[in-house]
Amino acid sequence: MSNLNIDLNRVGAKGALAEEADGKWGMVIDQDVCTGCQACVAACAMENNIPFVMEEDAAYGRTLHWIRIERFWEGEYPEVRTTPYQPMLCQQCGSAPCEPVCPVFASVHSQAQELNLQVYNRCIGTRYCANNCPYQVRTFNWRDYAIEPFHANDFDGQLVFPLHNQFNPDVTVRRRGIMEKCTFCIQRIHKAEDKAKSEGRAVEDGEFTTACAQACPTNAITFGLLDDSESLVSQLANHKHGYRHLEEMNTLPRITYLQEG
Amino acid sequence: MSEKISRRDFLRLASVGAATTAVLTGCGPASRYVQREPYARMPEYTYNGLSTYYATTCRECAAGCGLIVRTMQGRALKVEGNPNHPVNRGKTCPRGQVTLQGLYNPNRVRGPLQHARGEALYDANFQDAQPNLDWEAAIRVVADALEETAGVAFLMGTASDHLFDLVSDLANAAGASAPIRFSAGSMFETRATLSQATENLFGRAGLPYFDIANSDLVLSFGANFLETWLSPVAYNFAFGKMRRGNPQRRGHFIQFEPRMSQTGSKADDWFPIVPGTEGMVAAAIGRLVAEAKGEPLPRAFASVDLEAVTSASGVKLEALAQIAQLVISAFAPIAIPGGPSLGMSNGLATAEAVLSLNALVDNFGKPGGVFLSPLSPNQDPDGYHRPASAQEMADFIDRMKSGEIKTLFIHGVNPIFELPKSLGFAEALANVGTVISFATFPDETAVASDYVFPDHHGLEAWGYQRIATGAMQSVLSGLQPVVSPFQDTRATADVFIAAAQLTGGEPARALPFNDEVAYIQSKLANLVGQADGSFNAPEINSFSAYFQQHGGWWKNSAEEVAVDAASALGRELMASQAQFAGAGEFFFVPFVAPTLAEAGANKPWLQELPDPMTTVMWNTWVEMNPETAHELGIDNDDVVKIISEAGEVEAPVYLYPAIRPDTIAMPFGQGHTAYGRYAQGRGTNPADIFGLLFNEAGDLTFAGMKVKVEKTGRKQPLSRLESRIGVYGEGMGEEGH
Repeated sequence: MSNLNIDLNRVGAKGALAEEADGKWGMVIDQDVCTGCQACVAACAMENNIPFVMEEDAAYGRTLHWIRIERFWEGEYPEVRTTPYQPMLCQQCGSAPCEPVCPVFASVHSQAQELNLQVYNRCIGTRYCANNCPYQVRTFNWRDYAIEPFHANDFDGQLVFPLHNQFNPDVTVRRRGIMEKCTFCIQRIHKAEDKAKSEGRAVEDGEFTTACAQACPTNAITFGLLDDSESLVSQLANHKHGYRHLEEMNTLPRITYLQEG
Repeated sequence: MSEKISRRDFLRLASVGAATTAVLTGCGPASRYVQREPYARMPEYTYNGLSTYYATTCRECAAGCGLIVRTMQGRALKVEGNPNHPVNRGKTCPRGQVTLQGLYNPNRVRGPLQHARGEALYDANFQDAQPNLDWEAAIRVVADALEETAGVAFLMGTASDHLFDLVSDLANAAGASAPIRFSAGSMFETRATLSQATENLFGRAGLPYFDIANSDLVLSFGANFLETWLSPVAYNFAFGKMRRGNPQRRGHFIQFEPRMSQTGSKADDWFPIVPGTEGMVAAAIGRLVAEAKGEPLPRAFASVDLEAVTSASGVKLEALAQIAQLVISAFAPIAIPGGPSLGMSNGLATAEAVLSLNALVDNFGKPGGVFLSPLSPNQDPDGYHRPASAQEMADFIDRMKSGEIKTLFIHGVNPIFELPKSLGFAEALANVGTVISFATFPDETAVASDYVFPDHHGLEAWGYQRIATGAMQSVLSGLQPVVSPFQDTRATADVFIAAAQLTGGEPARALPFNDEVAYIQSKLANLVGQADGSFNAPEINSFSAYFQQHGGWWKNSAEEVAVDAASALGRELMASQAQFAGAGEFFFVPFVAPTLAEAGANKPWLQELPDPMTTVMWNTWVEMNPETAHELGIDNDDVVKIISEAGEVEAPVYLYPAIRPDTIAMPFGQGHTAYGRYAQGRGTNPADIFGLLFNEAGDLTFAGMKVKVEKTGRKQPLSRLESRIGVYGEGMGEEGH
C-alpha cells in the first residue's frame, strides 16, 4: 500500500480520496456584474420544481431557494454601501462536509460528474448534511408544500392543482421530510451526456448551461467544463480576481467567485 | 443429475462470481470510489420524451423581450430567453421566468361572465366564479355596445400592440374616440417627461436608448435602469458589458438619488442628494466640464450658480469638480435621467439638463452614447405612441365623470389598482353605463365591471409588440400561442372582429378579417421584401411562418437618427429645486418593487423572491434611516402610518441604512383587494396616498410629496431572507439590520 502515495490532507471521510480540485463541471460567478436581480433564483425554481412556502414559513427561514443572493450592509450613512451581491448555492465541494455525515448515503459523491448528489429516495430527513454544510445551502421540505390544499381548486370535491402543469418531468417532485439542494441542473447534464454519447463524442463546453446561468441578464454566471483548459469557465476560474468561499476548510469548492474591480 | 442447478443456486453462484470479480479488480484505483446506483432511477436520469420549443414575446411588461418556451405534451414547462432577440439576447428577468405561474394561476377568469359590479370573482375559499355566458352572447354584448359609437371608450394596457392597432382602426372607423393606454409601469418610468424632454431638445418625441454597454462612465440621475425601467433586461445585459466587456477598462458608475435603489447599489460612487436637485447637479457638472475644457460656456449651463447647487443638493463642490474631471477624461461618458427624479415638479427641467449633459460631451449616435430609439418596423409615421400620462388619465376620468362615456372597454390594465386612488377612477365608474373588462385575472377592475370577457394569457396569445426602446435597431417582436388555452378564454382581438362584423357598416368594413391572425398578417404585409431584415421571404405566408419561428422581425443594423447637439445646448435650462406638496417632515420616495413590478403580485414565486435590497418577501415595507428611526423610537417591524395630503397608509418599518435621514421610501406592487389568492390582502399600496400634482409634461409628481410618519404601536414581523430575528421575537434592535 505504501506505493499509493496518499496525500493525507486530501483524504476525505471514510477513507475515500478527495478528488482533484479541478473536476469536471464548474461555475464562475462574477460579483462585479451581478446586479442582484433574482432572475437566477426564479429560473432555478422554475426549472427544478422548487415549491414556494408562503409568507409565514418564509419568515422562519424555510424557503427552498437552491440559490440565494446575499448582500450585506457595510459602513454608516452616508458612507454606506452594500457588499457586492453574492449568489450562494451548493459549491459542489470536492471534499464535501455534507457527504460523510449522511447515515443513509443520500448525500453522495457522483463519480461520473464529480458532483455532490442528493438521492431523494434515500433521504430520511435527518438534516445532518444541512447542519454540516458551511455554506448553508441545503434546504429542507418541512411540509408537502406543493400539495397544500390552498393551492388547489375544488372541482366537485376533487382537488386540482393547476400549478402542477408546470412540473418539469425531468426533475423529481420532492415530498415532506426530504433534503434538497442545487444539483448543477443534473438533468441537463444527463441530457447533454446522452446526446453526446449517441453521437459518439464527448460533451463539449457550452453545449448546455444551467438554468441560472442561462437566465442571468448580466452574464455574471458562467458554467462549463473545468477540465477543458480552453473553456471560458476554466479560464475565468484562474482570473486574478478569483477566490473561493471558505477555501481554508479544504472543501475544494467547485465555484469560483470574482471580486469587484 | 449432479450438475442440476436450482434457480436459487444459480443466483448464489452468480453473486459469488460477481463478488470475486470485484475483489480481483478491487486493487485498481477505480475502487477508491464506491460506484453507487440509486435504488430507483430518479427522473433526472431518464429520458421523458422530447420537448418542443416555441418563440414568442413576454407580455409581463412593455419592454417586449423575446422568449423561447419549452413545452411538452401541450404544457408549457419553462421560459427561456430568445438568444437572437436584439432586446434581451437570450436573457430574462425574474418576471419573465415566472410568467408561467400566471398561465397556470389557480385564480383566472374561467370564461365570459356577467355579474353585479363589486361582486367578487371568487368565493371566500378562492374558488373561481363560473362563467354564465357563452361567447356568442358575449360578442352580442360587445356588438350592441359598438352600435352607439359616440359613447364608446377604450382603455388599454401597454401590451400587446396588435390589439391596440386593431382597436385604433375600429375606433377610427366607428367614429369613436381613439383608445388610450396606461400602465403604472409607464407612470413610474415617467415616459411622458422623458419623451417631452427629448422632443424639446432634439425635435423628436420618443424614448432615447442609452448605450451604457460601450460607455466607460455612467452618470445616472435617479434612473433605476437595472430594476424595472423601460427595458431592464437590455440594460442589465449592457451593464455587464460596461463592467467586463472591455478588458482594458472597467466602466465607472455614479448614481445620484436620495434612497439607494438596487441600481444605485451597483454604483462605484453613490451620492444621496436632496430629492429634486438632480437637474441642478447635472447642470453644475455641465458647467464645470465646459469650463475645464476651456470652451465658451454654452447657454444651457451659463446661468448655473455652483454655490446654490452645492447648498441645495448637499453635494460638495470638490466632488462635483472630481466628477467633471472624470467626464473629461472618460472615453465615452453618458448621463441617464429617469425614475423618481423626473416624477417631480421640475422633472422636465431635470430631464433636459441631463440630456444636455450628453449633448455637451457630444455622444449622440456614437458608441457609448445616446441613441434616439428608431421607430418599430410597422409603426405609423406619427411616431411613438406613448402611454397616457397621469394628467391625460385625469382628463379621461373627467370624461367618465361627466357621463359622456356610455361603454368603457378595459384591456391589459388594472386602473383601480394602478392609478393613484385620488384620481377617483373607481368612483368615476359609477357614471359609466356599461363596463366591459377583458381581464385574464380576477383583478380589482374586473370585479368593478359589468362583464368580464377574459382574454388569453400572453403565452396562449397571438400578437406583436413594437419595441419602443431597448435596442439600437428597429424591432417588431412576435407573439404566438405556445399552448392551447387552458380556460374558456377568447382573444380580445377576435371578439372585436366578430362584434364589428355583427355590427356591420363602417366597423365591419374596417375589420374584414376571419380572425386576428389574418389581421396580424395584414399588418406584416409591408415588411415582406424589406431590405436589411433579420430574415426575408417572398410572400406573406412564408413571412408569417418565419415571423413565428424567429419570434419577430428586426433590422440587422442600427438605425442612425441625426441629432443637432449644438442647438440643444443653445437653450437656456431652467433647472431649479423641486416644489413639494404636503407639510410632513419626510420626503417620500415610492418606487416599483423590482421583483414584482405592477402586475407580479399574483405569481407566488415572485412574491417569494427576496427584494434585492431589503430581502423582504410577500409584503410591503417602509424604508427609514436607522438614525431617524432611533430618534423617533421606531424599530424594525414597527408598523407606522404615513400621512400625505391625499391619504394615509400603514406598513411595517425596515431600518434601511442607505437612505437620507429626511426621506422614507416604499415599494409599489402590493396592496391588492382582489387579483387572486396570492395577491389579495397582502401589504399596502403607496399609490393610495399620491397627491394630484403633475409636472409640465403631465407626469404625476409621485416623488414630489412630503409626508408625516406616526407610530401605531403595533408590530408586524416582515418575512426576510436575511434574518429570522423578527419572527422569533428576540434580539430586536441593534443587530436587527
